Amino acid sequence: MNWSALGLSLKVTAVATAIIAALGLPLSIWLARSRWRGKTLVEALVLLPLVLPPSVVGYYLLRGLGAGGPLALVSGGSVLFTWQAAALAAAVVGLPLMVLSGRAAIASVDPTLESAARSLGSSEPAVLWRVTLPLARRGIMAGLTLGAARALGEFGATLMVAGNIAGRTQTLSLAIYDAVQNGEYTKANGMVLIMTALALVSLWAVRRLEPPARESAPRQESPP
Amino acid sequence: MSSESARLRVDADKQMPGFHLQVCLESGSETLVLFGPSGAGKTTTLNIVAGLTQPDSGEITLDGEVLFRKGYPGAPANVPARKRRIGYVFQSYALFPHMTALGNVAYPLWRRPDRERHAAQLLERVHLGHLAGRYPDELSGGQQQRVALARALALEPRLLLLDEPFAALDAAVREQLQRELRAIQAEMGLAMLYVTHRLEDAFAMGDRLAVIQDGRVAQVGALDDVLRQPANSTVAQIMGVKNLFHARVIAATPDGLRIDWAGIQLDAPPQPAQVGAGVTAYIRPEEVKIIYPDRPLSAAVGLNLVDGTVLESIPGVSFRSLRILIENGFEIEVRFPPYAYVPLRLERGARVRLSLRRDALIVLAGAGQSSADGSVVGLAQTNHMQGG
Repeated sequence: MNWSALGLSLKVTAVATAIIAALGLPLSIWLARSRWRGKTLVEALVLLPLVLPPSVVGYYLLRGLGAGGPLALVSGGSVLFTWQAAALAAAVVGLPLMVLSGRAAIASVDPTLESAARSLGSSEPAVLWRVTLPLARRGIMAGLTLGAARALGEFGATLMVAGNIAGRTQTLSLAIYDAVQNGEYTKANGMVLIMTALALVSLWAVRRLEPPARESAPRQESPP
Repeated sequence: MSSESARLRVDADKQMPGFHLQVCLESGSETLVLFGPSGAGKTTTLNIVAGLTQPDSGEITLDGEVLFRKGYPGAPANVPARKRRIGYVFQSYALFPHMTALGNVAYPLWRRPDRERHAAQLLERVHLGHLAGRYPDELSGGQQQRVALARALALEPRLLLLDEPFAALDAAVREQLQRELRAIQAEMGLAMLYVTHRLEDAFAMGDRLAVIQDGRVAQVGALDDVLRQPANSTVAQIMGVKNLFHARVIAATPDGLRIDWAGIQLDAPPQPAQVGAGVTAYIRPEEVKIIYPDRPLSAAVGLNLVDGTVLESIPGVSFRSLRILIENGFEIEVRFPPYAYVPLRLERGARVRLSLRRDALIVLAGAGQSSADGSVVGLAQTNHMQGG
């Protein structure tokens, strides 16, 4: 068992999940609410990693994070081939799942409830905080869980921007690849089982979070 | 209404998909009923007053404060909904499903340190103190309605808007809620704007009626006046009332009401009414049954039997109507499918016996009553005895 790879995977996933939450929640709210035409473009940009080959996402990140790239200027130096780059790659591929689910959850909140909150004296931030987000919470959390699971399993883009340096940037999925390349199937088996277990746990969590398909049975009218 | 006593003034114009809303209303410390077919713009009018929908132009004032002004002389204004202090009971109740009944009522009170206690008192006021911990989906429709009302009252509103508040409730619950709402209104001196498409609800709650049709106010006035003297044929059609008459209550028991319509005694379903009071009543033309002289009477038509003479028979594609002069000198309309009553030769001059079905006899009691002189002024009715 490659414990350092597991530890690194968990660290990368934790940081990636934090980034997904920090970017994904405002993006979900904005995409659900905005009527600005340009939002389709922003939406496409966010969702693109979902359909692009991981190597292409990795390439964009490589150019963005590399010397002179726009992201490198922001981060004040190259983070290429560090675990931070792996976390960034994982966040980029996990974000679309969060945004898809979160936006749908926010958009599905009954606008009448938000109107009611306004008529009861709530400002827009208060409506969001006290009504919209609590009601969309399950969908948002389900999206975040899916994003985190996707981040945990990230392989292609990570390989491009963080490399496969054992003990430094080698996450569990990369370590499995290495083990198989070297014919160490016993080692691979353990790691594969761990990944499968984590994936199952996240699927179970998503299932728990998704709102149950509740039948809106006609209510019985009883005299008070 | 004189302009001086108006508390709410609405003059608003908005282009909606499909129709153009142009409403002009005034309301004082009373209940103004917005009445009209669905899609006429009633709910949009409430939303405009509440500040949830912005008109294209107009002016809305409440107790002298300008809530909205655009395209009118004076400084433009648009007070946001949260600052209007207008209580709104939505048709769907719009209770927050993630909060208990108490949480819902306490929602507008978040600045008050005693919000829980105050919310509990309001729930007591609507007789739901024992259900404070329930979530909306654990409450019946009538109970949800009460929570929604208590929540709107927690705002200490200057004006209460109610959108079809009793539409989804059964008769017993509806009547009780209407009674309580009237009591609360009197107690708090609330102005109310009340949307309904049911004439009975309008009478139970309202003082004045504004008939809304195709986004415009077709007529405003005291309930009885609008009912008896529609400004035009459109209003008459919206009100849709045929066979309207004035009667006097001669007995009121828990089993039912007995009324006297110019010499004919009729039984009606029970409802609160004072013996001796003048009431307005009607029966829909489809509900008047013609009795076969040679067949036994069923229980449903055994009451309220009236004799008459056919004045006119009007054939139609989906129904046939008869104008019938009945024994007290008034005229009523009867409507039935063309295949019905074929064995009876219902031609002009034919003698018929009718049943004004007890369960279908609607007695409009409430604030709208004014004259009780027994004179009958219907939409298309004339007194043939007096008239010649």
